Amino acid sequence: MQKKIKKPVSELIIQIVAIIVCGIAALLCLLPFLLVISGSLTDNDYILQYGYNILPGKFSLEAYQFIFEIPGPVLQAYGVTLLNTTVGTSIGLFIIAMTGYVLQRPDCKYRNRISFFIYFTTLFQGGLIAWYIMITRYYQLQDNRLVLILPLLMNPFLIILMKNFIKTSVPHDIIEAAIIDGANDFTIFTQIVLKLATPGLATIGLFLALAYWNDWFHSSLFISTPSKYSLQFFLYNTLNNTQAMRELSQTGASVSMEVPTESVRLAMAVICTGPIVLLYPFVQRYFVKGLTIGAVKG
Amino acid sequence: MKRIFLFSLLFAIMVSWVFSGGQHSDVENGKLDLSKKVELQFWMLGNAPGDLKLIEEEVNKLALEDLNCTVKFNYTTWTDWSQKYKLLLTSGQQIDLIFTSEWTDYQRYARSGAFLELENIVPIAAPELNTFIPENYWNAVKVAGHIYTMPNTWKEYVYDGFEYREDLRKKYKLPEINSIETIEMYLEAIAENEPSMMPLGEGGTGPKGFLMVYPITAELLHPWSDRSMDNYGLVSDNANPRVMYQYWGSEEHLNDLKRWKKWADNGYWSRSILSSTEDPVAAFQAGKLGAKISGINPVKYSQDVIVMGKNHPDWEVGYYPFSYATRIVHPVHPTHNGFAVPVSSKYPGRAVALFEKLVMDKKYNRLTNYGIEGVHYTNDNGYYKMLGNAETSGFKRESMNSWAWRNPEYMLFDPSFDLVKSIFTEFDKFSTPDLYNGFAEDYTPYQSQKTALEQVIAEYLAPLQAGLVEDVEAGLNKFMVEAKAAGMEEIQSEYLNQWYAYCDEMNIQ
Repeated sequence: MQKKIKKPVSELIIQIVAIIVCGIAALLCLLPFLLVISGSLTDNDYILQYGYNILPGKFSLEAYQFIFEIPGPVLQAYGVTLLNTTVGTSIGLFIIAMTGYVLQRPDCKYRNRISFFIYFTTLFQGGLIAWYIMITRYYQLQDNRLVLILPLLMNPFLIILMKNFIKTSVPHDIIEAAIIDGANDFTIFTQIVLKLATPGLATIGLFLALAYWNDWFHSSLFISTPSKYSLQFFLYNTLNNTQAMRELSQTGASVSMEVPTESVRLAMAVICTGPIVLLYPFVQRYFVKGLTIGAVKG
Repeated sequence: MKRIFLFSLLFAIMVSWVFSGGQHSDVENGKLDLSKKVELQFWMLGNAPGDLKLIEEEVNKLALEDLNCTVKFNYTTWTDWSQKYKLLLTSGQQIDLIFTSEWTDYQRYARSGAFLELENIVPIAAPELNTFIPENYWNAVKVAGHIYTMPNTWKEYVYDGFEYREDLRKKYKLPEINSIETIEMYLEAIAENEPSMMPLGEGGTGPKGFLMVYPITAELLHPWSDRSMDNYGLVSDNANPRVMYQYWGSEEHLNDLKRWKKWADNGYWSRSILSSTEDPVAAFQAGKLGAKISGINPVKYSQDVIVMGKNHPDWEVGYYPFSYATRIVHPVHPTHNGFAVPVSSKYPGRAVALFEKLVMDKKYNRLTNYGIEGVHYTNDNGYYKMLGNAETSGFKRESMNSWAWRNPEYMLFDPSFDLVKSIFTEFDKFSTPDLYNGFAEDYTPYQSQKTALEQVIAEYLAPLQAGLVEDVEAGLNKFMVEAKAAGMEEIQSEYLNQWYAYCDEMNIQ
């Protein structure tokens, strides 16, 4: 039987205090979320009169009603974003992993030059206009669904992160052993590297997924058909539009739209962040490990 | 070395690609060439209506027959529209017609060569439109002697007024609002008797500093002045447009600031007004504000009447346009709503011809302004009546943002617009053409001073205007010292030079 080591009382006290303090701090972190959710469920006039409360002062679903008044477009935008996120993240992850893997292989002759080439783009860019001209006039991608996926596929920062991660987590000896065993490069990559690099994949996958999920800029610049809008842009634009309608003196407008702006803003935040928040618990355990391993050791 | 050379060669080729647009024209030898079937690209600001496709199909049916062309209506959305507008014009993608206004920097783009000169195209491609738009409208939109946009002729007034709660005025037996004194009496009564209300609400700082009280200053206290009160402290004189006076630092300015101080001390507006992000429109409609000042033109007033009449039938909205007191009012400047043909257009003649159809042809005009009759609206004895409700309608009135092709002869209004019309009719009695809004300063010569001055305004003038500075006189002196140090005088002299040049160009005495 193992003997328990008795802890001194002082340490116990410290622990209790620490738990209480951390607990309170954690609860405080929850407060803003609570405020957002309750605000989205409060009557707009009530917010204007009395401000925000932790619990809805006057319960109302008008904000959600406003957004889902015509549910078609919102759900469509949801669909677009979901599709972009899944397709973009899986393809992007695959390509980034492949690039990162190749760039760290010591037997890849021009790896440093190619790395520099990738790194260079983080320092010097053509700017918005050049990029816009490239996408619209040379690639002819305006109003094309691909424009929401392609530009985000590769990201120099993520490639460098991936390269360093694979370098530290997949020893080159294993790869050499696999070569001797007769595996070809692609088999090595899919059977060995991808499997050993799961924490890195989870980390970078999360980064990518977030980038796709939160992307509104590409929709804003290049998409002109409302049914192809991504969720973030759809909601952001709805709000901008109702505000603009009010700003503009719409001569002879027969009906001015009444928008519960304050509560709608919060309801949009809930709708936008809701699903992606659920992703965190699944990848969290890899996330912390992956981030430090990949980033710290260079 | 060789590599650098190669790269620069590649770059040069790319650049020449981008800029080798080349001039196309389908108006040659005084005739419009309709032989080839083309698709025109229209760009408008704002969001597309839900049923745009339907309307587009209908327009295309007509246009194919009349002009052998189809048209695609594109929208920038209201998100980041100014950046997109810039990209559209600089990227050189094909655009045949684009919306212009002084608030989309029409003059600046025209000066930098973004648009085609229209005086040779319009008479050939759109003779009817050419005569329909009066000579003085064509002249007013000229930039450096050329016409770059087709102006709209619908006469509307975007002038501010004092909006208040008429039911409260009656409740406290106050005199009718018609002067600064009666306004003050009203605000005083609200401050005393309605503890849950803020007498006056407006918030935030505009690009040129805190301007909440500026319309009152300009239009009620100094009726001789015109509205251009925020141009680096210069005020224009309505009777003598060429002249501009120094308002900042003057006796009048000091007196005005003292008045705002008194208002602030009496609690007419919130102490935190400079940082407020509250939406005054929503706050007024919710009954939190006693009155609103800035940006309340007749149309916005009528919208408040509709909304508040529905939600709070026992409330009554009152409105006093400042112009009733000053007897100065101008309809919007012709540049306010127009369509230009960018240099990237492949078929400028066809584009102008189609625009003529939109303005002059009743079928096109009603279709693109009000939708399909019987589906989106009905014509109820000369009044516009929307079918369905506002939230679900696929095409609300003017939801194509068709401001620039309104034709006064074909316009249909909602009965609620009668209220606005009655104010406009009153304005018509003493309105004079707007001389100021066609002028757009070119601030590149004093960009850095301008930025510095804006800093100074935000730091010193805004709190003065909000009545937060104890010693008004010392505060104003301090502001003037700082403004001069920031380069106010250089800005003013350059600004005035440009203004005089504009006056010469437009024959303003």
